[in-house]
Amino acid sequence: MTQSISHLDLLEAESIHIFREAAAQFRKPVLLYSIGKDSTVLLHLARKAFWPGKLPFPVLHIDTGWKFRDMIAFRDKTARDFGLDLIVHTNEEGAARGINPIDYAPSVYTDVMKTVPLKQALDKHAFDAAFGGARRDEEASRAKERVFSFRAEGHRWDPRRQRPEMWRLLNGRLGPGETVRVFPLSNWTERDVWRYILREKLDVVPLYFAAERPTVVRNGQLLMRDDDRLTLKPGEEIVNRRVRFRTLGCYPLTAAVESDADSIETVVAETLGARTSERQGRLIDHDQAGAMEKKKQEGYF
Amino acid sequence: MSAPTALSKGKKAALKVVADHGVAAGESVAATPIPPEIEKIAPELSGMLRVLTCGSVDDGKSTLIGRLLWDATDLYDDQRETLERGKKVDGGNPDFSLLMDGLVAEREQGITIDIAWRYFDTATRRFVVIDSPGHEQYTRNMASGASHADVAILLVDARHGIKKQTRRHAAILDLVGVKRVILVVNKMDLVDWSESAFRKIEADFETFSWRFGFWEAKAIPTAAVSGDNVARASERMPWYPGPTLLEYLESLPSRVTEPTGPFRFPVQTVLRDSRNDFRGLAGTVSGGSVRVGETVVDALSKRSAKVLRIATMDGELEQASQGQAVAIQLDTDIDVARGAVLSKADARPVTARVLEARMVWLSETAYDPRGSYLLRTATDLTPVSTLKIRSLLDLESLEAHPSDACSTNDIAIGDIALGRPAAIDTFGDAPETGSFMLVDAISGASIAGGVVTAAKAEAAAADENSFVLTRAMLERGLNADLRDRPQTEAEFRRRANEVALILRAAGINVEIESAPDYSI
Repeated sequence: MTQSISHLDLLEAESIHIFREAAAQFRKPVLLYSIGKDSTVLLHLARKAFWPGKLPFPVLHIDTGWKFRDMIAFRDKTARDFGLDLIVHTNEEGAARGINPIDYAPSVYTDVMKTVPLKQALDKHAFDAAFGGARRDEEASRAKERVFSFRAEGHRWDPRRQRPEMWRLLNGRLGPGETVRVFPLSNWTERDVWRYILREKLDVVPLYFAAERPTVVRNGQLLMRDDDRLTLKPGEEIVNRRVRFRTLGCYPLTAAVESDADSIETVVAETLGARTSERQGRLIDHDQAGAMEKKKQEGYF
Repeated sequence: MSAPTALSKGKKAALKVVADHGVAAGESVAATPIPPEIEKIAPELSGMLRVLTCGSVDDGKSTLIGRLLWDATDLYDDQRETLERGKKVDGGNPDFSLLMDGLVAEREQGITIDIAWRYFDTATRRFVVIDSPGHEQYTRNMASGASHADVAILLVDARHGIKKQTRRHAAILDLVGVKRVILVVNKMDLVDWSESAFRKIEADFETFSWRFGFWEAKAIPTAAVSGDNVARASERMPWYPGPTLLEYLESLPSRVTEPTGPFRFPVQTVLRDSRNDFRGLAGTVSGGSVRVGETVVDALSKRSAKVLRIATMDGELEQASQGQAVAIQLDTDIDVARGAVLSKADARPVTARVLEARMVWLSETAYDPRGSYLLRTATDLTPVSTLKIRSLLDLESLEAHPSDACSTNDIAIGDIALGRPAAIDTFGDAPETGSFMLVDAISGASIAGGVVTAAKAEAAAADENSFVLTRAMLERGLNADLRDRPQTEAEFRRRANEVALILRAAGINVEIESAPDYSI
């Protein structure tokens, strides 16, 4: 009888293969770590790819200064537990100018505090390859993304420069000025990520679990007031609600959902039973039509 | 019955954690069962199938796939709403093609110019839909999409039947190794659900498909707009007793079900753990399987060793099979590095100097006989000393026409002479070690994707005219800093490759002397 191999086993093996190809082909790779569930899976797969050796590259977090405090605590604990070479980079100039997610348009904020510092950090350390957790199922423009996604000088993504990929062969030979983003989770879905977290018993940021948290309703969305920089507008009030987060980012831009799911099992059950795709909870994506494609051309991950 | 493999559904039962080898077994996953309600919502699916769809916009391809997603799967509500809100087509049905939309630029042009990947789950299986463009000027996109597919859907309009384009597509599928093909005869509503119309197209399909190396070729009559025979059996075509498209897709074997072909292990990188004196060869088994204790050979150096351990972070394995990513530790250090291919002694890849190949020209830059090319095989990158185009394949007649030129979207037949030997198979014997990308040495671009039809060990005849980069020459200055050979062999080789490329660009035919045998 033929024994079937589970789809998660196939995905895991593929991701490990991609990690090893990239580590072998690029001079100085880095893993972009955003602390969320996709990064958690990405990091776990990287550890598997090089076990029993250590990760042969550092881990980079672009800190906007507006991440949830629980995220930062989780990041630092993860780095300690796994002995990671963690690099944290912030656009100090943007921070000094007071660019923040509350008073500025999401497109401006994302550019100054996420896109620009990512480019700064990649340039500063001369990384030629950056692993990211993007998946093709996330958004229409990503459905065509390559596993090795090439960026021209200035980190610009140009659809015309993308290389055809065939079979399992990955061509990482860089042209002049080129760098590459590597997406080992290309063929995973949101469902796979959660299912894998459960199967592998991975720790995730507690914000994914329901708890009493101070929240405010703004523009029809539930925001958590993680610190007093989120000032209240007339008519708004802080209410403790039992909430959790489906995705994690900068707290003033990340909507909470009311929930009782307080264990990994219940979260997975609730998430996967949910009937809307995850990016609905991400405020920046609804900014404009084709928003992600535009951000990508500008160098956003 | 196949031997048990370690990759088994949702459990690590076959993983044997060995404590007495001095290396900790990583965090082996505790045996807490996954709660049954989760198994229901998100089962660990027992397989995966990658489905390529090809056909032109007019044949209703996007509608067909959209319909499949709509009827059979786990679409999110917001995706459904988008469709419900959108404009209606053909008798009030949502425009299913919106589910397959892509980049803004493409939407505006109204055509699909790149391949797009979609994912959906049925109760038992993950389906990956690879959507590829149909037009002739996008042969290269289709070929690259097809190279990832387990099965292909060829879509035709019931009013028009098999077209030249259908034949071209079938030829491309065959070239890149797709073994299962479904001819979906769509828009049956527009031929009044006529059996004779379908049977005629089916007969044409059988006539032309036998020429290819397909294992299965099946024709199914559908009407995607109304969903007939997509996921639901058509009441309007009672004369068709066969499976719906979805039923047929679910009946095909999953991707990587059991090891096939000879054992191949292209080495990706060497993993070291100094604390435990571990030196493991990291890679993915690309064919067959290997067990602890078996003897394996490195085709290039012809040295052999026994498999001491097969390591993963989840514990050690007794056996590694096709598709598994592992680290293999050998009982003696035979200095194998990236680019090597491990095999069993009785079925080795060729230590190839000259290849005959068929390739899809992907680049917008035409073939240049003086160009600097590199050959990317499974894990090796070898300088090409000469690339000679012999003929172009006419995809409709399947005849080869002599030609020494080649440009975008051409299927070329040619000879590749390598600057040094590489471990290579013919595509028919071992697809993963028998396929390659041709890379432009300067821009890095992927120039062509190809399959090896013959691999020869002897050097090309023009040897006396070429310049040999000897080890001694390279050691003297350029590589003088690389002392710890064989550990630095990979870097030594990389530099040699680059020198060869520069010389080739200057019009000199170059060969690189092989590495010495360090085993004695």
